[in-house]
Amino acid sequence: MSIRYRITLLIALSFAAIFAIGAYAIFQAKSNATQVKNVTEKVVPSALAASDLVSQLKDVQLEATALVTATDKNIIDQVNENLTAKKAKLQEGIELQARQATNKAQQGLIRQIKENINNYFNAVDDTAKYKLAGQNELANANFYANATEFQRELGQIIETLRVEKIRTKDQAISALNQNLSQTATGISVVSIITILMLSVFGIILYRRIITPLRQMQTMMSEIATSQDFTRQVPVERMDEIGHSIVAFNMMIVKIQERSAELKQKTTDILAMLQNIPQGILTIIEDNKIHPEYSTYLETIFETRNMAGRDIMDLVFSNTNIGADALSQIEAVMGACIAEDVMNFEFNQHLLIGEIEKKMPGGQTKILDLSWSPIADDTNTIVRIMLCIRDVTELRKLAIEASKQKRELEIIGEILSVTQEKFHEFIAGSIRFIDENELLIRENPGHNADAIAYLFRNMHTIKGNARTYGLNHLTNIVHEAEQSYAELLKPRPAIAWDQATMMENLLAVKESVEHYARINELSLGRKGPGRRGNIDHYMMVEKRQIRETLQRLEKVNTSNLHELLAAHSSVQGTLRLLGTERIAEILDGVFASLPALATELGKEPPIIDIQDNGYVIHNHIAGLLKNVFMHLLRNSLDHGLESPGERLQQNKPAAGKIKLQMAAQDGMLQIRLGDDGRGLALARIRKIAIEKNMISSDTLLDDEETANLIFLPGFSTADKVTEVSGRGVGMDAVQNFVKRENGMIKIHFYDDKTGANFRQFEFIVSLPQIFSENVKGIDFHTQTTIDGILAELKFTEALPVAG
Amino acid sequence: MAQILVVDDSGTVRDEVCNFLRANGLAVASAMDGKDGLVKLKADSSIKLIISDVNMPNMDGLTMAEKIRTELNNSAVNIIMLTTENSPSMKERGKAAGIKGWIVKPFNGPAVISSIKKLSG
Repeated sequence: MSIRYRITLLIALSFAAIFAIGAYAIFQAKSNATQVKNVTEKVVPSALAASDLVSQLKDVQLEATALVTATDKNIIDQVNENLTAKKAKLQEGIELQARQATNKAQQGLIRQIKENINNYFNAVDDTAKYKLAGQNELANANFYANATEFQRELGQIIETLRVEKIRTKDQAISALNQNLSQTATGISVVSIITILMLSVFGIILYRRIITPLRQMQTMMSEIATSQDFTRQVPVERMDEIGHSIVAFNMMIVKIQERSAELKQKTTDILAMLQNIPQGILTIIEDNKIHPEYSTYLETIFETRNMAGRDIMDLVFSNTNIGADALSQIEAVMGACIAEDVMNFEFNQHLLIGEIEKKMPGGQTKILDLSWSPIADDTNTIVRIMLCIRDVTELRKLAIEASKQKRELEIIGEILSVTQEKFHEFIAGSIRFIDENELLIRENPGHNADAIAYLFRNMHTIKGNARTYGLNHLTNIVHEAEQSYAELLKPRPAIAWDQATMMENLLAVKESVEHYARINELSLGRKGPGRRGNIDHYMMVEKRQIRETLQRLEKVNTSNLHELLAAHSSVQGTLRLLGTERIAEILDGVFASLPALATELGKEPPIIDIQDNGYVIHNHIAGLLKNVFMHLLRNSLDHGLESPGERLQQNKPAAGKIKLQMAAQDGMLQIRLGDDGRGLALARIRKIAIEKNMISSDTLLDDEETANLIFLPGFSTADKVTEVSGRGVGMDAVQNFVKRENGMIKIHFYDDKTGANFRQFEFIVSLPQIFSENVKGIDFHTQTTIDGILAELKFTEALPVAG
Repeated sequence: MAQILVVDDSGTVRDEVCNFLRANGLAVASAMDGKDGLVKLKADSSIKLIISDVNMPNMDGLTMAEKIRTELNNSAVNIIMLTTENSPSMKERGKAAGIKGWIVKPFNGPAVISSIKKLSG
């Protein structure tokens, strides 16, 4: 049962009780009133009237007596008249008593009175009749004998009636009193019972309401204090309080969910702030930094404890921002915080997006700043959020990328021109430039002929450059040409200034030389055109240059990863320019081997090359050709045996020469070995002793002995042949390699220490910068090594475009 | 009949702001200082927005704003202050005088025009 019903019931019961008490009281009052009315209007007056009867009877008797004693006629008549009136009054009194008789005793008495009164009145009437007739004696006798007797009897009966009436009256009053007292008692008892009942009911109700309320209050206070939202208030009854508790518990569950969510979010935000590689802070009033900022900010600004610091000091001190711009930023923050969000719109254009800041460590960083307002429900800005990115690297890369782009464009331009024509163009341009240089030097002041000559020369260079599509160069030449064109005018807007003219010319010269350098070094197209192995140049196709350029143009310069990827891709493309495979570099050398073998009476050797993806910058191609020409001829001459000898040793008639490439410890290693008889250590020692390079008792291990061949003047050939001993010994070959910071070593790979012949290989080491590995280059457009290799082709120099 | 009243003692600033607003199709009136501003505002009930400098001779912008609210009993007109710097006390006074916004000089038209149109509409 719900509390509402209980309270309603209690009120209803109270009303019912009050109504019952009231009704009972009214009922009792009414019955008492009737009784009182009866007593006051009937019983008491009747008793008084009964008393009156006694005196009225006496009055009648006195009149009768007066009649008897009267002597005068007039008096007799008067007395008789009075007597008649008093008789009537007495008669009336008796009639009244007869009507008011309330019990049988009274009725009996009244009946006796009525009988006697008639006798009495008859006796009195007779007396009066006698008296009126003048019969005084008779009247006297009758009166005293009859009337008086009747009067005495009547008097006794009336007296009895009076006594009876008084008794009845006393009885009625007593009954009335008793009734009144009963009424009072009754009402009191009913009231007390009602009060008791209601009290008991009220107390029960009170307990039912207050006890759970108090429990609920205690629990709620505890939960509120402890903030332990996992607790629940127990529900004992499903009344209003029970429902309230259920609702409260539901609220607690929601609060717990919300607080868990909030906690999670706070944790997330904190984790984010701790781990995000970006500087994030918020600015509160007075331009102070809010304590919650991203940890990375400390890396960017190389400082700690930024909470509460002034933003102007932390971010904008030691920057390239002028004092006025700084005061604007400060004013904008002041104008925004605690103001409507509209103020941010008004002023955000004054908040600087990029700064260069000198850091405590001495480095200057380029920082990208992004500002945004944080507003509350009323659109009032509570904080300003500032995201800071260190874009130093990004900007550097972007500059690098634009340089690369220019480089690639120039390469593309050069590749579109045949080597021969390009060479002609460069040579011609240099000639014109030199002429102009001389002309400028010889003419400190304006000279019409000279300027016409200067202009013509420069115009020719520009025309050629434009014809060949060398756009970068054309632009630079155009500037110099324009200044000449101005000076050609009758009234030039610029002065003839030798220094400026030389400067312009120098720019053109540098640009031409830059093109020439790329052509020679990067593209390996030195000279008017290469005979023989021009086909073997490893070049990147024009298409790939174009694709790489497009990639650079599309790259999002604000995305470090994208920029890095593009950068490395372009780097890869650029690196491969002007590289060759060793097989191609040594192609001419290999080609000469069969003839040499025939000359030496040997089978042409089988060449096995494993380059493992390493390609070589072609500016050391010449060196490698010289070195390997010597080593390969040595191998054929001294190492590989004659076919007969080889067959005796169960070797195939044709010897095998193996060339392997690998990188180790920053060096490119080219290993050259053969399956011949090996290094003739005993013979080497003998020659060294003969040539007084060592004394006969010098103790040398195999490596030391082998290294004797690198000594100046050492030659193992019995006679200077066409083949090995061309007057260039191993010492010279070693020196070639050392000049490029490389080294040639002899490595034994058998275990026959001390033997006359030992299996060995030459290891030619060169700095790794002379090589690239095509397998290591990420082209992005290709996913497989094969794809990458397919992309790289041995191409011919491309024909002139258009 | 004007939508906007520009109050600035510098003729250059006044002209620049007025011309820009006019170019954007807004009806503009101008005043030379706070006192002048009060007179102009009283005379033209169509003014919805006042763009005012802070530091001016005769009567500064904040005092003008306060008088607009108290003496002219005009709480409807929007007021924006042009400023070079601001202090907490200035902002407090501004808030009390119902200043809607602060534009840090120089006044940059394109960035603020949409909000200005809203406030003067």
